[in-house]
Amino acid sequence: MIRIEKLTKTFDTFQAVDHMSFEVPQGAFLVLVGPSGCGKSTMLRMLAGLELPSGGTVQFGDDTVSDGDKGWMIDPAKRNTGLVFQSYALWPHMTVAGNVDWPLKVAGMSKPDRQARVSEVLAMLGIEALAARYPNEISGGQQQRVAIARMIAPRPAILLFDEPLSNLDAKLRVEMRTELLRVHRATGATSVYVTHDQVEAMTMASHVAVLNGGKIEQFGTPEELVRDPATAFVATFVGTPPANLVPVSMLPEQHAKGLRADALAMYRPENITSSAEASANSMAFEFAEASPVAGRTMLTGTQGPLRVTAVVDNAPRLQIGDMVHFGLPETPAAMFAPNGERLS
Amino acid sequence: MSIAPARPMARPFPINGRLALKLFVLAILGVLVAAPLLRILFETLAPDAITAWSDVTHGRLSKNLLWLPLGNTLILGVGVACGCVLIGGFLAWLVVMTDMPFRRTIGLLATLPFMIPSFATALAWGSLFRNSRVGGQTGFLEGLGLTIPDWLAWGMVPTLIVLIAHYYSLAFTVIAAALATVNSDLVEAAQMAGAKRSRILLGIVLPVALPAVVAGASLTFAGAVSNFAAPALLGLPVRMQTMATRLYGLIEVGQTERGYVVAILLILVSALFLWLGNKVISGRRSYATITGKGGRAKRFELRAARLPLLSVAGLICLLTTLVPVAILIASSLAPASSALFSNWTLHYWTGLSDPSIAQGQAGIWSNPFIVSATGLTVGLGITVAVTTTIIGLIVAFVLARDGKGPLAGIINQVSFLPLLVPGIAFGAAYIALFGAPIGPFPALYGTFWLLLIAGTAYLLPFSVQTGRAVIQQVSGDLDESARMTGAGFLRRLTAITVPLASRGLAAGGLIVFVKIMRDLSLVVLLFTPTTPLLSVLAYRYASEGFTQFANAITVVILVISIAATLLANQLQAKSQPWLKS
Repeated sequence: MIRIEKLTKTFDTFQAVDHMSFEVPQGAFLVLVGPSGCGKSTMLRMLAGLELPSGGTVQFGDDTVSDGDKGWMIDPAKRNTGLVFQSYALWPHMTVAGNVDWPLKVAGMSKPDRQARVSEVLAMLGIEALAARYPNEISGGQQQRVAIARMIAPRPAILLFDEPLSNLDAKLRVEMRTELLRVHRATGATSVYVTHDQVEAMTMASHVAVLNGGKIEQFGTPEELVRDPATAFVATFVGTPPANLVPVSMLPEQHAKGLRADALAMYRPENITSSAEASANSMAFEFAEASPVAGRTMLTGTQGPLRVTAVVDNAPRLQIGDMVHFGLPETPAAMFAPNGERLS
Repeated sequence: MSIAPARPMARPFPINGRLALKLFVLAILGVLVAAPLLRILFETLAPDAITAWSDVTHGRLSKNLLWLPLGNTLILGVGVACGCVLIGGFLAWLVVMTDMPFRRTIGLLATLPFMIPSFATALAWGSLFRNSRVGGQTGFLEGLGLTIPDWLAWGMVPTLIVLIAHYYSLAFTVIAAALATVNSDLVEAAQMAGAKRSRILLGIVLPVALPAVVAGASLTFAGAVSNFAAPALLGLPVRMQTMATRLYGLIEVGQTERGYVVAILLILVSALFLWLGNKVISGRRSYATITGKGGRAKRFELRAARLPLLSVAGLICLLTTLVPVAILIASSLAPASSALFSNWTLHYWTGLSDPSIAQGQAGIWSNPFIVSATGLTVGLGITVAVTTTIIGLIVAFVLARDGKGPLAGIINQVSFLPLLVPGIAFGAAYIALFGAPIGPFPALYGTFWLLLIAGTAYLLPFSVQTGRAVIQQVSGDLDESARMTGAGFLRRLTAITVPLASRGLAAGGLIVFVKIMRDLSLVVLLFTPTTPLLSVLAYRYASEGFTQFANAITVVILVISIAATLLANQLQAKSQPWLKS
């Protein structure tokens, strides 16, 4: 179990993490997701013990491991955590086996035990054949596997990942997602995974914390986030494609009736229809892009700064410069105040 | 008998433009680099000269000709390499990895000593520590009433100290650059594994920086064994000989063949260690680390040791930069170096000849000989900078366009050969080749031309490096994107290539200029009264006991060199990644 309470980190005057609190059970796969600068990496480094919180506490199970208010923390090595760096941070002067072995050696394991454990984790990640190679002699995907092997070798109870897949190509990234989940399940550890890619968050997480500007916008399961976004930011950040927010002032008259004039109305892409001709209930957009998605079509239109995406069965044939007319459902799926707060 | 129809004949020797250019470059390099080195070898192998080998290596005089100087040279090389790696590595660690205050300033100061010629530091040492053992003026410390023992005034110890003070900045630069690539992730990953500070330092940081440490050691070793100025000024008066001073002495007294043998052996010693160093560094573990976001480099917290370590670092930097320069300036103004800060006079700078002072020597600005030497030295620096930059650019161009095949391989090797050759041995090789008329060409000894081509050849490796960097910067995408717009060759040349390349070339040229300005070892053998050069004049004045004049000339060299170096840095806008906070 990981529990953080009112965790805060300030760099000079910059508030990187601002009074964050949440709790995840043992065995969870927590993803911290958000745009660059949202505080997710700082959060992870505080969990790892590389950064002392300016305030608040971190608890692993029943033990408090960092206390920012009192200004102390347990050494990174004594937290029983492992971290995969974005750069992998493989030690360039050690072989693959040497990289995996060194932390065990530091931990004081006997040589036969180490040998057994090293071959075990190398086999687990399918990189036994690379044992004698140096990090600069293997590919990016292989380095990634070595980094993971090195992390899990000492059997940490908590696995930390700092954007581990961002240096890989698209296909490899999908493969490694599966691989990471397999490792997570096999070790039975609790994982915390930092990414800016909401697809990774939605596919891998048991719990997601959407961060923005140092604060938690919403904490929940992937389904909850999509079904019931707590803020306008979450609504437009998660889901493939994410939901649309249309200012009430731009809606057709019938739709706008009875709604707060300065609010934002949320419509899900799958509930929007499209046609080439205008009707009383439709909004006109400039056609922007279309792509086939699992037998349906994802259509995007723009109107000034507003972008609306619909997923429809029969899309009209359109070219850039054409107008597309989106028919909106009678009632929006949710309403948000101008400051992003959920209204209904 | 029928006549076969005449078939169009292929030209017997198709002139291939590329091949022609390669051969041309090879010919230039042959004359500039290979010929002198081969000549010096063959000179010693001639039937009437071959005995020089046995004289030097196991003759009756061999102990004094070779073995003692070789021993001294190796002691200097090893001592300087160790000292430089320790001091340079210590400073690099402080500047790059720790939270010491004023890191940026220390980092800048630590690169300065290499700009100060080693004879300047040696002269400054003399002004402070000279004792009365060899006669003449005594230094400032004796003037204060202290008794300076011989071992501190002359010979091995001061030579070692002066050379370390000069070369440690080389080790600093190399090691700092390597430490800067030790991603803080690497250290944190070790921290996560539970390693203690000392274990991280020994297990991670040192091994990753090891190639740089080896490189620093072999470069400073090669520098120390080929240095002429420091052992000549501080060792020769008490008959401490190194191979460089022995070689100089032999050629000065006309025993050229023996001198050449010593030169060849010196080249071998220096090249062997550079080669060994290179072999250790280049292996399968060439450490290119993958860059992540890094950025937020965590620094080693020194805690209570911050200020003590800062003062140690600051002291090292001050003692090797400001202090020698200040001593030189003061001593060029003081009539007696035993009283450096009293009775200051501008006589040694501007005074007219006065029989009562310094045997009637006029101040350096009133001495037409020195004024013309200044002009000649600056002229030589500029000409060498231009010629070597042009040749370096051509060589780099040929290698960049077609770097494969045996010819390119030879060009590449030969153009970097001068790096392995100590300056004084190179000078000896030039005397061997151009000292006598070759066919219709007159002897070049004693002419500006000899200095020019020797300097050009000597500095070729640097200019080839500059040329490569510039070509790499300019060719490829940038040129292609200009070509896509339809710009013709000349248009691209004037709008893209020249503006992009000119800064880099100018900066490279300035560095060559500075190297010539303050070089002593290459030109000390090529010097003649018709071609007076400032550095040699300073050396001559110093060895004749006119220290004020020597120091005044050295100050002139320093001012010109530092101005040019600053200008070069400005042009390059040299980034020093390890100074970022």
